[in-house]
Amino acid sequence: MRILLIEDDTVLGAAVRDQIAGDGQSVDWVTRLDAAGDAMAGAAYDLVLLDLMLPDGRGIGFLKTLRARGDVTPVIILTALDQVSDRIDGLNAGADDYLVKPFDLSELSARIGSVARRYTGNPNPIISHGALEIDLAARSIHRDGKPVALTAREWALFEALLSRPGQLLSKAQLEEKLYAFDSEVESNTIEVHVSRLRKKLGPRFIETERGMGYRLGKP
Amino acid sequence: MRWPASLQARLGLFLGILLTVLWIAAASVTALILRGEMDEVFDSALQETAQRLLPLAVVDIVGREEDGLTQRLGVIREHDELFTYIVRDAEGRILLQSHTADMAVFPAYDGPGFRLTATHRLYNEDALQGTIRITVAEPLEHRGSVAREIRMGLGLPLLIVVPLALLSIVFAVKASLAPLRRFGERLDARNARDLSPVPGGDIPSEIAPVAATLNRLLDRLKAAFDAERSFAANAAHELRTPLAGAIAQAQRLQSETGDMAARARAAEIEATLKRLTRLSERLMQLARAEGGQLRLDRCSDLRIVARLVVEDVARTGSPGRILLTLPEAPVMSDLDPDAFGILCRNLVENALRHGSDAAPVDVTLTRDGQLIVANDGPVLRPETLDRLTARFERAGASGDGSGLGLAIVAAIADRIESPLVLRSPRPGAASGFEASVKLPIDDSIASSRSGLSKH
Repeated sequence: MRILLIEDDTVLGAAVRDQIAGDGQSVDWVTRLDAAGDAMAGAAYDLVLLDLMLPDGRGIGFLKTLRARGDVTPVIILTALDQVSDRIDGLNAGADDYLVKPFDLSELSARIGSVARRYTGNPNPIISHGALEIDLAARSIHRDGKPVALTAREWALFEALLSRPGQLLSKAQLEEKLYAFDSEVESNTIEVHVSRLRKKLGPRFIETERGMGYRLGKP
Repeated sequence: MRWPASLQARLGLFLGILLTVLWIAAASVTALILRGEMDEVFDSALQETAQRLLPLAVVDIVGREEDGLTQRLGVIREHDELFTYIVRDAEGRILLQSHTADMAVFPAYDGPGFRLTATHRLYNEDALQGTIRITVAEPLEHRGSVAREIRMGLGLPLLIVVPLALLSIVFAVKASLAPLRRFGERLDARNARDLSPVPGGDIPSEIAPVAATLNRLLDRLKAAFDAERSFAANAAHELRTPLAGAIAQAQRLQSETGDMAARARAAEIEATLKRLTRLSERLMQLARAEGGQLRLDRCSDLRIVARLVVEDVARTGSPGRILLTLPEAPVMSDLDPDAFGILCRNLVENALRHGSDAAPVDVTLTRDGQLIVANDGPVLRPETLDRLTARFERAGASGDGSGLGLAIVAAIADRIESPLVLRSPRPGAASGFEASVKLPIDDSIASSRSGLSKH
C-alpha cells in the first residue's frame, strides 16, 4: 500500500513513517497541507494519515475539500484533540477512523489494515486462496497448514495483488506501492520479489502478462 | 452612643430624633410668639374694658347723693366673671366694684397703666384729675389656660406625626434599599464557580458604583480563573503531540533493537511516558470539568457518546469486558457531550482498573438519564468510599491510574448539581462496586417508549 502521512511533528512523524515502512508499506511524509495537496495530485494513495493541526491550516478543512471533490481515499485522523465532539466532527467530515495521540504504533498498524480491508470490500481479515490461509490482521500466511514467512516487501507486494483480485497491476503500479518518492527503485526489484513469492507460495499464485504486468492467479 | 449597623435603623433613628427636635423647636417658637400676640390682645381687651367702664362709673358716682359709699353691682345673670374691677377715689375708698371682685387681688393704686401681680394682670385708669380710679383685673390663670391649650394644640400632632414620619422613613428606606437587597440575594444564591456579572437592576445610583466595582472584580476573577483553566487544558493538550512522538520512538526502539536490555529500557520509558500521558489527560479533563460551560443550549443523544466511549475503551485493551446497555429511545440532554464523554470514560476506566477481571463491567444508561457503571470486586469499606472522590486518592495499593478519575467525575456531577453515588457492594449483590450519576435530560424529547435493549 502507498500511504500519505501528513504530520508536522518530526519526532512522531519519523516514528510513524518507520513503523509503516516496517510493515512493508511505502510512505510519503509531508508536514504541510499544501505539500499534501501536491502529493495527492501527483500520486494515487491507498490511505492518508492526517494530523488535524498543521502549520498551514486545519486537517478537517483539508479532509472536507477532499471529500467534496469526490476523493474516496481512506483517511485516518491522527490528532491531539481527544474530545468526543472532535471525534464526531472528524468522522462526520469523512474520516474513516480517528486515532488520538498518543497511540500505540501497533494499534496504528492494525487500524491501517482494518480501514484498508474495509475499502477492498472484505472486512474479514481471514482470506482463503487455494491452499493458502491468509490472516491480514496478523500478517500471517499458512500454506497447507504450514506457516510461510514473508519479508515486509514481499508482504506489501502480496497484499497489493490480493487487494485487487483478478485485476492486472502494471510493474509501475506495483513499484509505487512498494516505494515512496524518495526511495531508489532498482529496475528488476519487482521481478525478484515476484519470483521469491512464487517460490514461497506456489508457482500458480502470480500470473504474468508479458509486457503488461501481474495479477493474482486463480486459486 | 453607637449607631446601629442597619442603614434603615440609622436613618430612622437619625431622622426621627431630628424631626422631633425640629418640631418641638418650631412649636415652642410658635407658642412663644402666640403668647406675645395673645398678651397684646388680652391687654388691649383689659384696657378697652377699663376705658369703657370708667365714664359710666364717673357718671354713676358723680350723680350720687352720698360720697364715699361702696356700691356692689348685683348679678344680672349667673356667669363666670373673668374681668373684675373696682373703682376707688383718691383716698382709696371703694366706690364701685364688680360682684365677684376680691379686694385682695387689687393692690394700692399707683397711677394709670398695666400692672402685674402674682395672680393677676391689672389695668389702672383714672378720671376727674385722678379722683376716680378704676382698676380692672384679669386672672393670669385664664391666660395660662389659653396658652396651655395653644401649646397642646401645637404639641399633640407631634405624638401622631413623629411616629408616622418614622414609619414612613422606615418604609421609604426599605423600599429604596430593596434593589440592593435583591442584588445581595442574587450574589448570595450563586455557587462558587459562577463568576458571571450580577445584574444590578434598579439599584440606587449611590450604591451602583459598588455593584459595578464588584462586577468588575468578578470579571477579573473570572478572567484569572479562565486563564488558569485554559492554561491547564492547553498545557495538557500541547503535551500530547510530543508525548506521542516520544512514545512512538520508544516503541520503534523496542522493535528495532535486538538488545534485550535496551528493549527493556525502551519499554520502561514507554510505560513512564504513558503514565505521564494519562496524568496530563486527567488534568485537562479536570480543568474542563471545573471550567467552561457544561450545559449547552442544544441537546444531543447521550447514547451516541456512551457507545463511542465504550467502543474506544474496549478497543484499547479490554475487548469483551464491557457490557453496554442503552435504551431504545434517544436520551436527549443539554449536557456537553464532551463532559459526558469524560464522565463516562472515567467511570468505565475506573471500573476496569479496580474491578475483578472475571466479570464484565456493566455500563447502563437509563431512559431517565441515569448512568450506572458497576463492576464486580471486593467490598469497599464506607470510609474508603468517602475518600474515593478526593484528588490523587486511589483505592487499593495499585500505583496504576492517576487517582483523578473519580475526582473528575465528582467535579462534573457537582457542577450539574447531581450527586455521584458510590455504593459497595453493588445493589442486589454481595460484592462489587457501583457508581451512578443522574444526568440532566430533556423530557420533552425523551420518547414515551420504554424498555432497554442490549448492545
